[in-house]
Amino acid sequence: MQKTFDIPRELMTEEELLQPGMLSCQGCGASLAMKLALKGLGKRTVVVIPACCWTIINGVYPYSALQVPIIHVPFETAAISASGVRAGLDARGEKDVVVMAWAGDGGTFDIGIQSLSGAAERNDDILYVCYDNEAYMNTGIQRSSATPVGAWTTTTPAGSIKEEPKKDIEEIMLAHHIPYMATTSVAYPDDMYMKFKKVRHITGTKFIHLLSPCPPGWRIDPSKSVQITRMATQAKVFPLYEVRRWRFSKKRGRLEENWKYTINIYPDRELPVKEYMKAQGRFQQMTEDMVNDVQERVDRKWDELIRKADGRPLTPNE
Amino acid sequence: MKQVIKGNFAVSHGVKLCRVKVISAYPITPQTTIVEELSEMCASGELDAKFIKVESEHSAMAGVIGSSTAGVRSFTATSSQGLLLMHEVLHWAAGARLPIVLANVNRAVGPGWNIWADQTDSLSQRDTGLIQVYCESNQEVLDSVIMAYKLAEKVSLPVMLTYDAFFLSHTSEIVDIPEIEQVDEFLPPYNPEFRIDINNPRSFGGMIGPDYYFEERYIMHKDALKALEYYQQVCKEFEEIFGREYDICEEYRTGDAEVIVVAAGTITSVSRIAVDKFREEGKKVGLMKLRMFRPVPVERWRKVLGNVAKVVVMDRNLTAGLGGVFASEIQAALYPIENKPMVYPVIAGLGGRDVTPDDIEGIINYALSNDKPTDVPLFWGLKE
Amino acid sequence: MAMKKRSEMAKEYDFTSWRDFTPMNISLGTMLHNMTGSWRFIKPIYEDKVPACQNACPAGNDIEGWIKLVQKGEYDKAYWHLKQEQPFPAILGRICFKFCETSCNRAVLDDYVSINELERFVGDQVDLSTPHPDLPEYNGKNLAVVGSGPAGMSVAYYGRLLGFRVTMFEALPEMGGILRVGIPAYRLPREVVAAEFAGLKNMGIELLPKTGVGKDITLNELRNNYDYMFLATGVHASMKLNLEGEDQSHRIMSGLGMLKKVALGEEVDLGDRVAVIGGGNTAIDAARTAIRLGADATVVYRRSETEMPAHSEEIEKAREEGVRFRFLAAPEKIELNDDGTIRKLVCCEMELGPPDESGRKRPVKKDGVLFDIKTDSIVTAIGEIPLFDYLNKIIKTENRVIEVNECLEVDAKADGKAKIFAGGDIIDMPHTVVHAVASGKKAAIAMDCDRKGVEFAGVLKKIAIGDGPAISFSQYMGWSPINPVRQNNSMVVDSEKIVYDYFVKEPQVEKKIQDANSRKGSFEPYSDTFSEKDALQEASRCMHCGRCTECDNCLIFCPDISVLVKGKGHFGYAFDYDYCKGCGICFTECPRNAITMIDEETPIEIDN
Repeated sequence: MQKTFDIPRELMTEEELLQPGMLSCQGCGASLAMKLALKGLGKRTVVVIPACCWTIINGVYPYSALQVPIIHVPFETAAISASGVRAGLDARGEKDVVVMAWAGDGGTFDIGIQSLSGAAERNDDILYVCYDNEAYMNTGIQRSSATPVGAWTTTTPAGSIKEEPKKDIEEIMLAHHIPYMATTSVAYPDDMYMKFKKVRHITGTKFIHLLSPCPPGWRIDPSKSVQITRMATQAKVFPLYEVRRWRFSKKRGRLEENWKYTINIYPDRELPVKEYMKAQGRFQQMTEDMVNDVQERVDRKWDELIRKADGRPLTPNE
Repeated sequence: MKQVIKGNFAVSHGVKLCRVKVISAYPITPQTTIVEELSEMCASGELDAKFIKVESEHSAMAGVIGSSTAGVRSFTATSSQGLLLMHEVLHWAAGARLPIVLANVNRAVGPGWNIWADQTDSLSQRDTGLIQVYCESNQEVLDSVIMAYKLAEKVSLPVMLTYDAFFLSHTSEIVDIPEIEQVDEFLPPYNPEFRIDINNPRSFGGMIGPDYYFEERYIMHKDALKALEYYQQVCKEFEEIFGREYDICEEYRTGDAEVIVVAAGTITSVSRIAVDKFREEGKKVGLMKLRMFRPVPVERWRKVLGNVAKVVVMDRNLTAGLGGVFASEIQAALYPIENKPMVYPVIAGLGGRDVTPDDIEGIINYALSNDKPTDVPLFWGLKE
Repeated sequence: MAMKKRSEMAKEYDFTSWRDFTPMNISLGTMLHNMTGSWRFIKPIYEDKVPACQNACPAGNDIEGWIKLVQKGEYDKAYWHLKQEQPFPAILGRICFKFCETSCNRAVLDDYVSINELERFVGDQVDLSTPHPDLPEYNGKNLAVVGSGPAGMSVAYYGRLLGFRVTMFEALPEMGGILRVGIPAYRLPREVVAAEFAGLKNMGIELLPKTGVGKDITLNELRNNYDYMFLATGVHASMKLNLEGEDQSHRIMSGLGMLKKVALGEEVDLGDRVAVIGGGNTAIDAARTAIRLGADATVVYRRSETEMPAHSEEIEKAREEGVRFRFLAAPEKIELNDDGTIRKLVCCEMELGPPDESGRKRPVKKDGVLFDIKTDSIVTAIGEIPLFDYLNKIIKTENRVIEVNECLEVDAKADGKAKIFAGGDIIDMPHTVVHAVASGKKAAIAMDCDRKGVEFAGVLKKIAIGDGPAISFSQYMGWSPINPVRQNNSMVVDSEKIVYDYFVKEPQVEKKIQDANSRKGSFEPYSDTFSEKDALQEASRCMHCGRCTECDNCLIFCPDISVLVKGKGHFGYAFDYDYCKGCGICFTECPRNAITMIDEETPIEIDN
């Protein structure tokens, strides 16, 4: 009767494209993310998976939890493999099938960024999803360039926690002039659903940066994984927004670009970054100064975002 | 239709005739002109294929892994460093059992930078699971592309065909370009049993544990071995339609030979001249041309080389600390034979240094005049 | 409902020869054979719990339940559901002390749900004289109810539902006790009380007004003629100021006495100015009644406003209507004129000292600071006391209350066949209408247990609601809850357990109340019952704490696809324990705590 999310009940009960028995940890954000993504994308989807947690989650030979076609590919090749699948399907006339590269943060921010950049620059008609759990979790929690400042990992151990801020992948991707870039989070299923539904109808490279909690890696209780992920958005550490770009030809053949930023979630409660960090074991080593720095950066980025989203068309350089 | 074309264009024509659907490649000298011509063919509509202009060779191979899994005929080409960058994905392509065809222009590996002929690039990929075919002429290059798809699709393994930088890639020869109808007759459309299929969704290449990995690799090995037999059939079918004869390895005047030179690539051509010269002198010298190197045609090698006294193996490649790859593998193949021939391993022509008929003559004389090799291997032409 | 288990569809492959293998690494089937449920050490269960509002209600009113029915527009069902635990929504919906609203978890988000207004709405949707649609046969036992206030009404109602033949004895000419003669008509219209009695009568309850026990009939007569008795005579006398001259003026009267006269249409002589002594609801009622009779009213209270026991809303209304307040003042002396009129009321200035046993600050006299209040009449409302003369010393009383045990049974050792119970204001219990109703319900159940020879203490444990004293009549009767899911009646869902992220702020629906000027000239009610639109809007603010609303959160958030919808025509969801890994996300993300995590080994019957 009182539904929280704008996701049709029929969709949740119809043929499930993801079957249980998966090898994900308790409270895994990645399996939840896949489930929700497929709700938006539907059956005519091919999933391309490089080395990442999902390599394991999907199961062992000869089984597969996913009930859409899925191709496992080497770590650094998610984007180009998807482009290859796209080209193959196009050749077979299956143009309506969405090819989704589904990579972790290591496979996206680090080892896979070259091939991702290549695909995005070519504007290959693929959906690239980075489900970001902010470290190499599959290998046992090593830092990646997506690991936030102040986080403990096994390679940024106590005494030398990560000092560098997380790589700004959104801006990197936008610098490729792709038609669609969005952030989303498992804590906001209707936002996810809306965005994954939307990308079906956009041609070109679509990039979705998806925050996906990892209870062992974040040092949190599995039951809290969605709640803490929600806090990331409430504290504006991980704002949910989308950027749509149109290229159109003006008279005399000049190519113009138009960008539109939309903030999807305006947190209705003020939540200091500190609260978000306090809730997680991985941030326990942070000093107050570090937390303040993060708060400052978060506030600044949020202000920038608000400015960009205020309706003015922006040039890519702004 | 006969045309005078370079080796690289022979590849491009072969790709076009095979109605390849997806090409994914990255430029590297001396492969570049393959890519250029294919781009033009795609742009003009002469070839109805999607050309993904990737940002690296690694992606070039990864791209065709994607398209091949989607079930369409796919092609890439590279050379040297590019092939080395592909190394990881070559294993993947073979392990995934994808019938991709890769043309590799044999080029030396840096440092320092050297763009000339050398087989070390392709031979250092021998454990990837790719079928390797070495070519001697531009005609053979073109024909081998066509046969490569037939074989690859039959055994579900990728095929790498290689030919020497500049000696073939940039050298023009007369090539008989087949009619596409003939090729269509020879090579039916690709229609794999397993491919990405929305209505029959499967996972490709997922996790596999110690329980099953072993057997999967055994099956791959079995199928690779089957390629020896299949390739002979393929060559036979090819000959029936196109009139040109090929095999897993080729013999030249080996019937009663006492000394056989073993070579691959363009060294074969110069060796042929040297062999003829010795024969004119009444010396029983023959030539075995290496064509298929993976899988290894062990039985054929034994049959050809098993009854001769001396075998000279020409390696334009080097495994530092061991010697030539061909020599070591031929010796391994001959090892179980009772009256083993004496093998004379020779390293020659590294980094594109010219190997002439005179060089081969000298090398054969070296073998004839020594009961056993003086140097293992012998670095022919070394500036002492 | 029986669903085919997914694990039964699992297909396993066991390749014993390489010849069985697929030619390449491809999948053949799902992972359904991998029963990840074995990883679990705690498991979720669907379990409806006790919302904070219900827990706070002395009667255990299932507020969430009937609000849900209101939301569906099923007002008739809502009415009868409400009456399961609290039989008089039209009455309590107007005058309740609203413990529920004070505890409403919604207040943390924006503001409490106007439960009381909704209750009034529900009460007004049905003709109050309609008898309960499912009356049982008489059980052969009769019950005499002495006093017809809320406690008596409640025991009569539940007693009848349990099959007792009930007779109500009321000394006054009108039925209803304090509801009829204590609470002013502008708060509780006479017709509402009358209609409720019509309903009781239609259920077969015998109503005997003008039949005072100890006057028209003796307690002993009742004892010999009835199997059970329930004493609920209330508190109708006022405590004295203990000042000289207190009894010597017709202009000095008790608050209850004055209210009763007004209620029964008798004349009251107040003069132009009234001083009401006291800080409770009676004081406020008296002052507002005085205003309506055309007098000026001043409430004189010895502590400050914070300590006033009267409901803050009532104080606010009184102030709007022109009632003045003189805090920190205690009557010291009354000076009378010869004709018995009042010359002046001398008061002493007070100040607040350390807290007393009630937790409120104790008022102490400021040494020697006296002042006068000019007034024509004095109404005393410093506390109400019962009149126990009719008990004829058969029944022991102490500190102005009748001692009762856990079953509300009176320890009456003397002769007589009736077992005697007591409730309402004459037992040691807060003096509110809803407490009185609760005591009637409890006594009715206690009598039924006694009749059946069942131990009440055991029953009490089973039907207790939350951690409060309230008990559930519907559970005693074995009636089904609205949500056909497992019920946990001991666990209370307070604000700590609510996930406020899932609720959007919505302002309370504004109550339409006449302005002070128009309302103070009349005894007519000054606010209307919610319109249907307002009721639906306000009902939609209910967060359904502790009760599943099929919001789909668990279904959406389960990372292991282990929440299954029970399907058309069935309520709720089922966990697929074959695969549920016990992560607890469903529990954490349930907005309203309708899921509980329990130890895997806890034996529990779960209907899937």
